[in-house]
Amino acid sequence: MTNTAHKVLVANRGEIAVRIVQACRKLGLDFVCVYTAEDAGSGHVRLAKELGGPKSLYRVASYHDANELLSVADDAEATAIHPGYGFFAEDYRFARRVSQRDRKLIFIGPSWRVIRELGDKINTKRLARSLDVPTVPGSDRPIYDEMEAEKVARTLFEFQVDNGIKNPLVLVKASAGGGGMGIEEVHDPDLFRSVYRRVRNYAARQFKDEGVLIEQRIRDFNHLEVQIVAERGGANIVHFGTRNCSIQSTGLQKRVEIAPGFDPSSIAYDFDADQLLADITRHSLALARRVKYDNVGTWEWIVTRDGKPYLMEVNTRIQVENGVSAAISRIKGKSGVDIIAEQIRLGLGAPLGYTQDDITFEGMGIEYRIIAEDPDNRFTPWVGLIDSFSWPEQPWLSMHTHVPTDEPYDIPTEFDPNLALGIVWGKDISEVRERGISFLDALVLEGHDKSGSPLKSNIDFLRKKTNRILLF
Amino acid sequence: MLDVSKLLEEIQASPYAEISVNAPHSGTLTFNGLVPSSRVVGPFGDWKEKKGTLLATIERERNKKPLHATEKGEVMLVHEELAGTFVQAGTEIMRLRHYLSREEVLSIILKKALHLFNAPERAKYYFIPAVEVKVKVSGPKAISVHDGMELFIMSRMKREAPLSYTGPEGVIYAVYFSHNQNMDAGQPLIGVCPPNLVGAVEDAVMRVQTEWREEE
Repeated sequence: MTNTAHKVLVANRGEIAVRIVQACRKLGLDFVCVYTAEDAGSGHVRLAKELGGPKSLYRVASYHDANELLSVADDAEATAIHPGYGFFAEDYRFARRVSQRDRKLIFIGPSWRVIRELGDKINTKRLARSLDVPTVPGSDRPIYDEMEAEKVARTLFEFQVDNGIKNPLVLVKASAGGGGMGIEEVHDPDLFRSVYRRVRNYAARQFKDEGVLIEQRIRDFNHLEVQIVAERGGANIVHFGTRNCSIQSTGLQKRVEIAPGFDPSSIAYDFDADQLLADITRHSLALARRVKYDNVGTWEWIVTRDGKPYLMEVNTRIQVENGVSAAISRIKGKSGVDIIAEQIRLGLGAPLGYTQDDITFEGMGIEYRIIAEDPDNRFTPWVGLIDSFSWPEQPWLSMHTHVPTDEPYDIPTEFDPNLALGIVWGKDISEVRERGISFLDALVLEGHDKSGSPLKSNIDFLRKKTNRILLF
Repeated sequence: MLDVSKLLEEIQASPYAEISVNAPHSGTLTFNGLVPSSRVVGPFGDWKEKKGTLLATIERERNKKPLHATEKGEVMLVHEELAGTFVQAGTEIMRLRHYLSREEVLSIILKKALHLFNAPERAKYYFIPAVEVKVKVSGPKAISVHDGMELFIMSRMKREAPLSYTGPEGVIYAVYFSHNQNMDAGQPLIGVCPPNLVGAVEDAVMRVQTEWREEE
């Protein structure tokens, strides 16, 4: 049971804010939303006006301003904060402040100690190595010094050559970055310095932190995830299966996610895929237990063509793609699993109420990220007015969006032009592919920019990739 | 040809700007006792190091943020009904009437005289690192630009793209964007003074300095 006396501040925007509000309603909880001037037309604002009680919507200067969010929480008499993803979701200082201030609030996410321990990519690597969980070779702390960076890169190039890799590659990543932003690869050690400087300058501008990570770039891999769910205290930790997030933009941002992570029943892999999924799940649970993980989180893995898994990082938050895992999950045989509602329920202190044995999986799910962008031009974001957005309802489809379907929507330039998530379920890979294509064919998405040119979206890209799911 | 006299006359005919003072963020509002027709001053001192008149404070998380007048002028309206309440970001709390300063008049005239290079899209703009360093050390007038020169980084949704300057050769006379500020499509980013206009621009500067009388 959830304590319905709580009021949740939704410290986020767009589609995730809409889903948090819906989850609160499902649990019988009151909520309060925030929005900035640019987001006045967003669906989460409208939903707050329609469904919220008194003091359920506040305009703020920025979603990044902790003082602002906490003062709104106080005025609205919120008792808990859901950070969504991005913004403060993985900021342990914010989580700590929320839970330690005079008027304490519940942070709907892992405890700040857990975020601190795992939120740091470097520390996660160290912890993983201590449990013999394989990790990607590379620097084990952010590097701020050019000479040191060059030395690490040269060592990684030599390591790959020594291991028989013909075209070694090194990745340079902004350590404070995320979501695939601020990552470049280097194929020639002599070009490393110029790429390093470019990434460092970008990181300083965008994230105000010049630190970079340098890693071996593993090619020909699949990107897998394990969805972890745990109750407060970390005594009961379960998983909700695996996802495959290998279909990405050129900037390494996810575009299509599939659950489960592989399908050995219909696709031949060069390795025992069932065993591999079991291994990464076991490793993820081991690490979660080690740190007493106490809310939802995602363990991100790289799996090479020959079936070697490497832990990349742990996302100590709800993930965009949580819904595709929920779509194939059953608790005590029942469908309609809502991982965001579970996150809130458990975050507020309710017991898990089921065990791993109660969780089963059925069929296959695809999540499409519908984005205004130009896949033929390096996935450049498209900005303009959406005139028409609609899709036929289907029992096997769930759509999550903040874009209104009954009035035009001006895409704000301050945020990524993510428009919607379409989650399709099928009993097997052929049915889910067929339904996925049918959904994309029927989707209407039209608009124009200031010059009158038509909207660009990734729908054709998603359609083309549907037949490539779960393949190397 | 730039007609400075005519422009000055036009500005003189309507020498005021109305300034809406909005809550920069949410919090509990306290006014500082100003009423309509109260006089206020903007920042002053050799380096504008002294703050303008305190208009109000907004408190949140035990931090009091003072809101000072940014320009000299007179109070037109005070939203007294908001006193002591929790205001949301962007709420108008006061309105001021401000007599244009020499710098503002000059800026209006220069925008008509200089070649303006406008933002092609709503985005954040930065100078490329090599230019940024020069601007910081020697000021924008040390930068000569020419058609096709890579000058800016355009940043939208954390994606960056280089942007080249197009227009006549000249020096950067005015910079209209600041770090991390979103600029709308069509807003000027820089004002460039081509060599053949240097005389006219310097004349405009001198005329404004000598002819525009600031309100005491």
